[in-house]
Amino acid sequence: MAGTTESLARFAPELVLSATILAILIVDLIARLQPKRPSLLSGVALVGLSAMAGALWLTPTGDTSLFTHLLAFDGLARYFKGFFILAAALGVLFGHLSDEISRSRLGEYYIQLLCLTLGLSLLASAQNLLMLYLALELVSLPSYVLSGFRWWDRRASEAALKYVVFGGAASGVMLYGFSLIYGITGTLQIDGVAAALTAAATGGQGIAGQLGLLMAVMLSLAGFGYKVAAVPFHMWCPDVYEGAPTTFVAFLSVAPKAAGFAALIRFFVVGFGQPAPGAAGFPWAEILGIIAIGTMTLGNVVAVTQDNVKRLLAYSSIAQAGYLIMALAVGTDEAIRAVMLYLGFYLLMNMGAFFGVQLAGGERLSAFRGMASRNATLAITMAIFLFSLTGIPPFAGFIGKFYLFAAVLSVGEPFFYALAIIGVLNSAISLYYYAKVVRVMFLDKAEEGDGVVEVSRPASALLLALAGPTLLFGVWWAPLADLIDKASSILR
Amino acid sequence: MPFDFAVVLIFLAVSAGFVWAAMFVGKLVRPHRPDAQKLQTYECGERPIGAAWYNFNPRFYLLALVFIIFDVEIALTFPVGVVARAWVEAGHGLTVVVEILLFVAVLVAALAYVWGRGDLNWVRDLEHEAPLPPVEPPPDAALTREVHS
Amino acid sequence: MIIGLNHFQVVSALLFGLGLLTIITRRNAVAVLMGVELVLNAGLVNLVAISRYQTGGLDGQIFALFGVVLAAAEAVVALAIVLQLFRARRSVDTIDVTDMRG
Repeated sequence: MAGTTESLARFAPELVLSATILAILIVDLIARLQPKRPSLLSGVALVGLSAMAGALWLTPTGDTSLFTHLLAFDGLARYFKGFFILAAALGVLFGHLSDEISRSRLGEYYIQLLCLTLGLSLLASAQNLLMLYLALELVSLPSYVLSGFRWWDRRASEAALKYVVFGGAASGVMLYGFSLIYGITGTLQIDGVAAALTAAATGGQGIAGQLGLLMAVMLSLAGFGYKVAAVPFHMWCPDVYEGAPTTFVAFLSVAPKAAGFAALIRFFVVGFGQPAPGAAGFPWAEILGIIAIGTMTLGNVVAVTQDNVKRLLAYSSIAQAGYLIMALAVGTDEAIRAVMLYLGFYLLMNMGAFFGVQLAGGERLSAFRGMASRNATLAITMAIFLFSLTGIPPFAGFIGKFYLFAAVLSVGEPFFYALAIIGVLNSAISLYYYAKVVRVMFLDKAEEGDGVVEVSRPASALLLALAGPTLLFGVWWAPLADLIDKASSILR
Repeated sequence: MPFDFAVVLIFLAVSAGFVWAAMFVGKLVRPHRPDAQKLQTYECGERPIGAAWYNFNPRFYLLALVFIIFDVEIALTFPVGVVARAWVEAGHGLTVVVEILLFVAVLVAALAYVWGRGDLNWVRDLEHEAPLPPVEPPPDAALTREVHS
Repeated sequence: MIIGLNHFQVVSALLFGLGLLTIITRRNAVAVLMGVELVLNAGLVNLVAISRYQTGGLDGQIFALFGVVLAAAEAVVALAIVLQLFRARRSVDTIDVTDMRG
C-alpha cells in the first residue's frame, strides 16, 4: 500500500485529466468570440489526453493500492486507462469532425466527454464499493446529458429520459445490493469481501446468510449489467443509440462497456474469488453463463430485423457484450486476457463502424445503398469493420473471438461446451445482418437522389487509421497479446 | 444533564439575536419610501395571491437546478471537517486547507462557467451563440426569451 | 421496545419495494424519478444503520453522505432532461413520449 504522496504520484493521469477538464472550461469561457474556438478546444483536449497518456507511461510500475486501498493501480487498471485515453482521443476527433455537435457547444461536449473519461478511469481502478459507486455515477451522469445533447430533437430527449430513468433505477438497485454486501461481510473493500466469504465458508454459514448474499450480488449485478447492456438490463440500449448523437454513440458503445467489464472482473474475480470451484458455495459461473446466453441470443436475433443501422449496431453491441460475459463466466487468467484483447479490437471496429455511420449522412439502411460507387473508402472500411465484428478471418475480430472461445473450451466442463456452441451459433446469425449492410453497400445500385457522399480528408484518414489496425491485428496480433500478457496482473 | 442543553439554549438565543440585530440595523440604515407594489406580500417573482397551481416560468427550474448542485456539494466538505482537528494535530493542517481550497476552486470555476455562459441571467442572451442547426426549431424558442413581468 | 438494526432494515426494504413499485407503475416521468430517489435512499438507510449497529466505523456513513450528493446530482440531471423533454414534446408522460420501439 502506498502513502499519500506516492498515491498522488500514481494518481497523476487522473490529475492531468482533471486539469484538462478545467482548462477546457476556462478556454471555452474566455475564447467565446474567437472564430478559431473549435480547433482551439479540440487542441486543448487532445494535448490534455496526450499528457495523460504520458503521465500513465511515466508512472512507476509495480502493483499497489492507492489512498488506503480505495484504488488499485495494477496491470488491469493500467491497460484500461490506456484504452480509455485512446477511446477519448477518438471521441474528441469524431466530435471535431461531426456536424451534429454545434460549434458553439463543442466545449460543453468535450467537458462532458472528459468527465466521463475520468469516471471510466476511476472505475477501472476502483477497489472499494464506495469508489466503484462514485465512479459508476461519474460515468452515468455525463452519459445522460450527452445522449440528450441535441435536445430539440424529439428522439434525443426521449432517449435521454429513458436512459436516465433506467440508469437511476439500476444504480439505486445496485446501491441497495452494495448495502447488503456491506451488512453481510462488514466491509466495503472488494478484497475484504473475498476474505469475509472464505471465513464464512469455512465457518459454515447459515442458509439465510447464503441467500442474502445471493440476493446482494444479483442486485449489484443490475448496475454492472446496465453499464455493459446485458440482458435483462439492455432495454435502454437501442433507443439511446438511436436518439443520441452518432458521434457520442461511437464512444458510448465502447468505453463505458469496457469499464463495466473492468469493474465486473474486479468485482467477481477479486471479490468473489471466481473461478475457485463453487466460490463460497455459489454457482457464479452458471449465473453469468446464463446471462451471457440470454444477452448474445437476444442481441443477435433482434438485430436481424433492424433496418436502422444505428439500432442494428446497438443490438450487435449487446450481442458482443454477451460473448465477453461468456468469457467472464470462466474467470480464469486466460479468459481475462481474452476479454482484454477482444475489447482492444472492439474499440477499433465498433468505433470505426459508428464513425462510418456518422459520415454516411443517414442512419437508415437505405442511406447506405450503393455506397461502393458513392464513396469507395467509406464502403470498404465499413465492410472491414462489420466483417471484423462478425469475427471472420483475416480480421482482428476473428482473433479476438478465437481467444474468447479457446478460454471457454479450455475449462472442459459440459456447461462450458454448451456455452461455446451457443456462442458459435450466434456468430453465424450475426453474419446474416452484418453481411446485409455490406450487401446493400456493394450489390445494391445507387438510386436517383443518392449522391456522392462527401467525406473530408481528415475523416477519411481517420477511417483508414482505424481500419488499418483492424486488418493488421487480424494477421499479426502478437504485440497486443504480449502487452496484455504483461499487463493482466490483478491485485487480489 | 440539564446543563448539556445549555449550549443549545445559548445557540438559539444567539441566532435569534442575530436575526433581530440584522433586521434592526437594516431598519436604521435603509430609506423608507413605501408604495403599493412594495407593500405587497413578498413572493419571489410570482403572483402572491390566487391559486398556486399554475405553470411557473421554466427559468425558475433552471436556476433551482443550478442552486441545488452547489448547495448539496457543500456536504462533501463535511467529512474533511470531521477529521480536520485530528489532521491539524498530526501536523497536516496545510493539506486540509489546500484540499478544501482546491474543492472550492473547482466549484468556482463551474460557477464562472454557468455565469459566463449567461445561464444565470433571467433574460437569456442568445446573441453570442451560433444559430441553431437547421433542424426543426424548438417549439417554443420564444419562451426562452420571455420576460417575466 | 429497543429500536435495532432489524427495524432499520425493514424500513429500508419497504422503501426499496415502494420505490420499485413507483418506478414500475407511474406514468409521469417526475413521479418515476421520485421512485428512483426512494430506491436510492433505501440503500443509504441500510448503509448508515449497518455502520451504526454492526460494523462500527464511519465507512457506511461516509458512503451515505456521498450517496446523498450523488442522488441530488442525478435528480438535477434527470429534471433538466425532463424539462427539455417538456419543451420538445409538451408532455412528461412516459407513454406519450415513446416513439422508438423494437
